[in-house]
Amino acid sequence: MAMVKTPVLKVILCGEYGVGKSSIFRRFINNTFVPNSDRRSTLGLDHFEKPYQLTDKTVKLQLWDTGGMERIASVTSSYYKFAEAAILVFSLDNASSFHVLSQHLLDIVTYAENAKIFLCGNKSDLEGSSPQVTDADIETFCEQCHNLISTTYKTSCKNGTGIEEMFTDIAMQLVESNRSRIELQTLDHNSFKISNPDPVDEPSCSC
Amino acid sequence: MDEEYDAIVLGTGLKECILSGMLSVSGKKVLHIDRNKYYGGESASITPLEELFAKFNAPAPDETYGRGRDWNVDLIPKLLMANGLLVKLLIHTGVTRYLEFKSVEGSYVYKGGKISKVPVDQKEALASDLMGMFEKRRFRNFLIYVQDFQEDDAKTWKDLDPNTANMQSLYDKFGLDKNTQDFTGHALALYLNDNYLQQPAIQTIRRIKLYSDSLARYGKSPYLYPMYGLGELPQGFARLSAIYGGTYMLDKPIDEIVLGEGGKVVGVRSGNEIAKCKQVYCDPSYVPDRVRKKAQVIRCICLLDHPIPNTKDALSTQIIIPQKQVGRHSDIYISVVSYTHQVAAKGWFIAMVSTTVETNDPESEIKPGLDLLGPIRQKFVSVSDYYEPIDDGTQSQIFISESYDATTHFETTCLDVIKIYKYGTGEDFDFSKVKVELGEEEQ
Repeated sequence: MAMVKTPVLKVILCGEYGVGKSSIFRRFINNTFVPNSDRRSTLGLDHFEKPYQLTDKTVKLQLWDTGGMERIASVTSSYYKFAEAAILVFSLDNASSFHVLSQHLLDIVTYAENAKIFLCGNKSDLEGSSPQVTDADIETFCEQCHNLISTTYKTSCKNGTGIEEMFTDIAMQLVESNRSRIELQTLDHNSFKISNPDPVDEPSCSC
Repeated sequence: MDEEYDAIVLGTGLKECILSGMLSVSGKKVLHIDRNKYYGGESASITPLEELFAKFNAPAPDETYGRGRDWNVDLIPKLLMANGLLVKLLIHTGVTRYLEFKSVEGSYVYKGGKISKVPVDQKEALASDLMGMFEKRRFRNFLIYVQDFQEDDAKTWKDLDPNTANMQSLYDKFGLDKNTQDFTGHALALYLNDNYLQQPAIQTIRRIKLYSDSLARYGKSPYLYPMYGLGELPQGFARLSAIYGGTYMLDKPIDEIVLGEGGKVVGVRSGNEIAKCKQVYCDPSYVPDRVRKKAQVIRCICLLDHPIPNTKDALSTQIIIPQKQVGRHSDIYISVVSYTHQVAAKGWFIAMVSTTVETNDPESEIKPGLDLLGPIRQKFVSVSDYYEPIDDGTQSQIFISESYDATTHFETTCLDVIKIYKYGTGEDFDFSKVKVELGEEEQ
C-alpha cells in the first residue's frame, strides 16, 4: 500500500506505583479522571495512540502504561523496547516517589537507550505552600543525571492542568530531535508486526 | 501475598506466561510468581553477554565481542512457524503488538555430509540437489497432491483414506525413496523421529501444509524470530496477564505447595506467607516430586564471528540433520540468529545445536552439527533433563508443564499449553474465543 504513514512514536510512563501514571494515561485517552484510582478502570487497557498536529507535520504519540506490574515485581524489559520517549512520573506530594526515580532512570537508559527522557511531577494540585519536592530538588536531580532529562513538567490529573501541554511539547521535541530518524522509519523497517492473513486464507466457519 | 486467588502460576517461562495470560483474560484472579529476579525462567534471553559467560563459569568475554548489552542470548533455541499455533495465539491475544519479527532467511536439510535448501514447491523440488531426476518427479507429484489435498473433499484424497492409511503407505503410493521420506518427514513435517510413519497420513499432510502455508506468509522460510530474542515472548504474555489484573512477583522463593483434603492444592507458601488458591500451574522445577525424567536434551550455544558456510551468508537460518543421515534415532537441529535480530553485537552470530540425548557421550552426538558451523569462537554446552508430569493434575489441581524439548519450533510448546489449559479449565482452548482487544484498534 503506497500510503503516507503518520509516524508513530512510542512513549512510556515510568515511576512508582500510585504516582498517577494510569491517571495520566486516562487523561491522555479521554480526558477523564477517576478519583481514588480504581485499578479496574484501567483493566484491559494497554496503550493508546493520539495524533498531534505540529506546524509542518502530524505525528502520533503512542502512550503505554505499565499495567501495574511495578507494584510488586518489576516491569518487563520488553516494555521499554522501541520507546522513543519515557516520562518519569513522581508525585509532588510524595518525596519518596521522587527519590526512587534514579532506579527507574537506570532502567530506561539500560533498556531504552535511544529514548528521550522527561520528568513529570504529578498531583500539582496537592503541592501546597510547603512542597514535599521543591523546584530546587528537581533541579539538583536533573544536574545529577547529567542532563539526561530533556524537560520537566508539572501536571495535575485531578483538574487536568498541564497534561495536554506536556504531550504536545513532547511530540514537538521528538519530531525536532528525531526528524531524520522518523523519515528513515518508513524505509529502514525490515522487521515487521505479524497480523492475520487475508481472510481468503482462512477457511470460513459454518457456525 | 496473603490473599486468595483462583490460580497461582509458578515460573515465568513461556508456557506459564501464556497460561497466566489466558487465565487472566478469562476473568480469573491470578498471582504469578517467579523465584528468579528476571522474567522467562528457562525461556529467558540472557543479557548482557557477561552474564552468559558467568552462567557457564567461563572467563569474561574480551572486547572483540563488542558491547555486552547488545547481546540477548536464548538458552533454548526455537523459531516460530509463521502460520503456526504460537503466531495464532499472538494474534488472537493481541500480544503481537509488543513484538517485532524478522523472517528467518534459510531452511536447510543435511544429506550426505552437506546441506541443501529444503525444497517446498514444485519449482524448488525440480531444482533441488537432494534427489535424482526421477525421484524429483515423484516428489513433485507428491507435493502437488499435498497442495491440492482438502480435508473436507474426499475427491482430492485420490483413493486413499488419510484418516486410516498410514504415512508409509502414502509415501509408497508415490514411490518416494527413503531419502526423500527422510527430509519430508523431518525437514518439512518436522517430526522428531520416525514413529509418524505408522500413524495416519492426515497428520503428516497437515504438517506439510503448515510448512508451506507458513512459507507463503512472509517468504524466504516458514520461520519467524522476534527482535531482541525469544525472552520477549514470555514477557509479552506476562504483560497481557498484568493488563487483565494478574499480580506479578519476582525474586520470591516458593517453599511449599500446600495441600488440603484429598491431596488437593489449597495454597502456596513462601516463608511465613501463604497465598490461598484453587489451582496451581507451574513448570517442573517447582514440583520435583510430581514429575519424572523422560529424556535428556543437549544444547550447545556457539558464538561465531561469521555466517554459517554454504548458507549464502544468511543472517538467520535453520538446519535439520535427519536422524538416519547420521545413524541416530532423533534429529539434530541447528538454529542461527545474529546481530540483525538485536541478539548479538555487530558482526556476530549465535548458532544453537540441539538434540535429544541418546548416548553417554552427548557432546560427541552433536558433532555433525558443530562441524557445519565453521570456526567457533565460544561454545557453551548444557545437558538438561526433560521432565513430564506424573499425572494430568485434575486430582491435585496442580497442572505441570513439560520441559522444553529439542525441537526448534514452538508447535509442541503450544500443544502442551493447550493440553494443560483443557485439564485446568475443562474447556477446549478455542482460538476464536480468546480474541481480545487491547487499547485501540490497529490502524
